[in-house]
Amino acid sequence: MEPMDIVGKSKEDASLPKATMTKIIKEMLPPDVRVARDAQDLLIECCVEFINLVSSESNEVCSKEDKRTIAPEHVLKALEVLGFGEYIEEVYAAYEQHKIETMDSLKGGKWSNGAEMTEEEAAAEQQRMFAEARARMNGGATAPPKQPDLNPSLES
Amino acid sequence: MSGRMGPHSLPLARIKKIMKKSGDDVKMISGEAPIVFSKACELFIQELTKRSWMVTMQGKRRTLHKEDVASAVIATDIFDFLVNLVSDESSNDNLAETPSEEMETFRS
Repeated sequence: MEPMDIVGKSKEDASLPKATMTKIIKEMLPPDVRVARDAQDLLIECCVEFINLVSSESNEVCSKEDKRTIAPEHVLKALEVLGFGEYIEEVYAAYEQHKIETMDSLKGGKWSNGAEMTEEEAAAEQQRMFAEARARMNGGATAPPKQPDLNPSLES
Repeated sequence: MSGRMGPHSLPLARIKKIMKKSGDDVKMISGEAPIVFSKACELFIQELTKRSWMVTMQGKRRTLHKEDVASAVIATDIFDFLVNLVSDESSNDNLAETPSEEMETFRS
């Protein structure tokens, strides 16, 4: 395995890890099918080229909207423009899933609700957790809380 | 397609690196953009693999070769941007340098 396999073309100093790519490729095929080494390499190169293409387009979409940072929305728009509109739904789902999983780590466990919680509910949960943490802190300190805009109904 | 939806398979830092090199004046990239790319790349590779495999099957073979990937690229409109890449690989001078919409003449 060569996880640091670099494809030495002119502009490309970075490539994608061969092991991960091979896994994705093999999962698409019946178990007894073999993939020639040159085919694997070519598929990886194609993927890098795909990133180049979509990056350029995302950059342009971003410019047209007068923004300074390439955001996920720009990438999704780029995919559509380039004819990869079919991917958008799954890509967006993966993105949303990631956002939920990132929130999840704050709570340290799984949502009891499953994946149906909206962003507002997740934000509300976050606020509740912060409030709980504040209450714990205030319970340990000798001085009473001075911030007037704190929620007076804190539970200790 | 396997329903595997685990942690993002492709390394985000590597993706970001490629993105930065993709042009001369690439803007700043949000932390979330590579996540979107990771999934998009996965789908892209899956599609290209599947189409290449279909060519392999047509040839009644069980090993997927570089030429199958090239054929799949040529036969698919949205993969036009890869034509030069695959033609360089097979060093076929007959393939046109400029991308064109209809490539039926090159069906192998």
